[in-house]
Amino acid sequence: MTPNGWLQIAVFFAVLLLAAKPMGLYMARVYERKKTWLDPVLGPVERLLYRLTGVDPNAEMRWTEYGAAMLIFSLASLLLTYALERLQHAIPLWNPQHLAAVEPYLAWNTAASFTTNTNWQAYVPEQTMSYLTQMAGLATHNFWSAATGMALAIAFIRGIARRESKTLGNFWVDLTRGTLWVLLPICLVYALALVSQGAIQNLKPYDTVTLVEPQTVTTTGADGKPVTTRVTTQTIAQGPTASQEAIKMLGTNGGGFFNANSAHPFENPTPFSNMLQMLSIFLIPAGLCITLGKMAGSPKHGWAVFAAMAVLWLAGVVTCYWAEAQPNPLLHGVDQRVLSAGPGQSLSSGGNMEGKEVRFGIADSALFATITTDASCGAVNGMHDSFMPLGGMVPLANIMMGEIIFGGVGAGMYGMLIFVILSVFIAGLMVGRTPEYLGKKVQAYEVQLSMLYVLIFPLIILGFAAVSVLIPAGLAGISNHGPHGLSQVLYAYTSAAGNNGSAFAGINANTHWYNSTMGIAMLSGRFLMMVPMLAVAGNLATKKIAPPSLGTFPVDSTLFTVLLVSVILIVGALTFFPALSLGPILEHLLLRAGTSFS
Amino acid sequence: MSDLVFLAASFAFFCVAVLYVYGCQSLKGGRDDA
Repeated sequence: MTPNGWLQIAVFFAVLLLAAKPMGLYMARVYERKKTWLDPVLGPVERLLYRLTGVDPNAEMRWTEYGAAMLIFSLASLLLTYALERLQHAIPLWNPQHLAAVEPYLAWNTAASFTTNTNWQAYVPEQTMSYLTQMAGLATHNFWSAATGMALAIAFIRGIARRESKTLGNFWVDLTRGTLWVLLPICLVYALALVSQGAIQNLKPYDTVTLVEPQTVTTTGADGKPVTTRVTTQTIAQGPTASQEAIKMLGTNGGGFFNANSAHPFENPTPFSNMLQMLSIFLIPAGLCITLGKMAGSPKHGWAVFAAMAVLWLAGVVTCYWAEAQPNPLLHGVDQRVLSAGPGQSLSSGGNMEGKEVRFGIADSALFATITTDASCGAVNGMHDSFMPLGGMVPLANIMMGEIIFGGVGAGMYGMLIFVILSVFIAGLMVGRTPEYLGKKVQAYEVQLSMLYVLIFPLIILGFAAVSVLIPAGLAGISNHGPHGLSQVLYAYTSAAGNNGSAFAGINANTHWYNSTMGIAMLSGRFLMMVPMLAVAGNLATKKIAPPSLGTFPVDSTLFTVLLVSVILIVGALTFFPALSLGPILEHLLLRAGTSFS
Repeated sequence: MSDLVFLAASFAFFCVAVLYVYGCQSLKGGRDDA
């Protein structure tokens, strides 16, 4: 670990802290339909959209109507993307490489993946998706799924803030305003910033260049015999990358334009673009804490939730950075210390550089991995599969905690609020009073549905993972034996159910088994968790707000933050610790004893 | 054929999700805990 590494982590958090408040207050104005400086431009567009679609922007929805609208929209957008993938070869538009139709299992997996904000990619984008599919199918989904998550978080906040109301707002209005006022303007500026750093943005056919040093490559032929090929040229993929990259990060989507994702120099060219990408993952989720405080009338509560998220983020990044900065115990006799060649010049990284970009190094790779899995982003600038066992456990554990450490846009906030309700409930039990959350009684219905929300998640992950390590179709995708193989499968379903989308890159998930079951895991992890959350919000909205009394548990205190962090850790640890013990923890212990698995 | 299967699976999932909405609502029953 180096002072430079710590400084970058500190700078990241300082900038996030500065950006959260203005972002959060701006979003509160947007969703409360108050005046903003973008109204003269976006107001007419918004009105035109409502007129074209027949939406009454003043019509309020009950939680069931809000949920049904969200489900119908998601189904329609899933089918649209599926159709686009299947028909891309037949559409004479923006397919300069003449890429074929996407195979049905993969097309459905990808459609489910982008609909749910997961962006799991069981395909190589530059070899599979036309520019039209990338832009009209995938990038648009990045906006829609992000705006949907934000809309639902706002609906939950309204449920807390409103008194004796049967409604939570209008899904179509929230979807539209989140897209027009928040996502689009930021992405426009952000994409230009990425272009300024070297990210590409074009519709050209791929370039072919002659290699300076031709390579001899030996592969296995169809008959199982080795085939030696002399490679003299390289194809360099092109495309509208910067525009997709901006929403990929801001919307915590994570689906790369290229297979290498944010490790690709066309997606993430410089350390500055890397810092921008990390900040943009957390920008909206951190801002939503402030939005919560503003709309619920308790700014300090928003900061208390922010503090809980920040503590968990810090614990993750410190653990991951420490684990990756350790020398690999299997590299006996190799000096892996940071070797200085003079002031500010290091000759060695001082730790595990396998699977990492030298442009970013250990600190920025560990920070990126922590952030992308705290949120439901899933973009990667290094391969999590190549992390040391405990370093790889941090991203896995982050997703297992429900991605509520800032979390996905919207999804992180409503997931955290479910834990807030459970924390308030536990605090109420401890002091023997009816629990109250910001003046609203938390009763059996809210707790039942909150527990349903919490329990669905491990049921999906552990159920599918258990079956996959028992049947040949599941075992066929694993590239390592032993505990690392288990970690690969566990990570895949955790990433799918958590709508994260990052992978332990060693697994081959482009099989019928993984494509279909992970599609189900993604849809279940998104919609079967959103529905009980909306039900909690709908029921909270109907309640009276009681004035605080001596017995009210203050949700803007340090004690509340400590309790919230404890509940998250206990629920996460109790649920997943046995599986983690058999995967990364066992691998760590075996590695130190000199055992590794091919 | 595969396309039809996936279309049907998608519709089926979202139909179940809509039923799930009403299932969650019915959990409340006749309780008035406002």
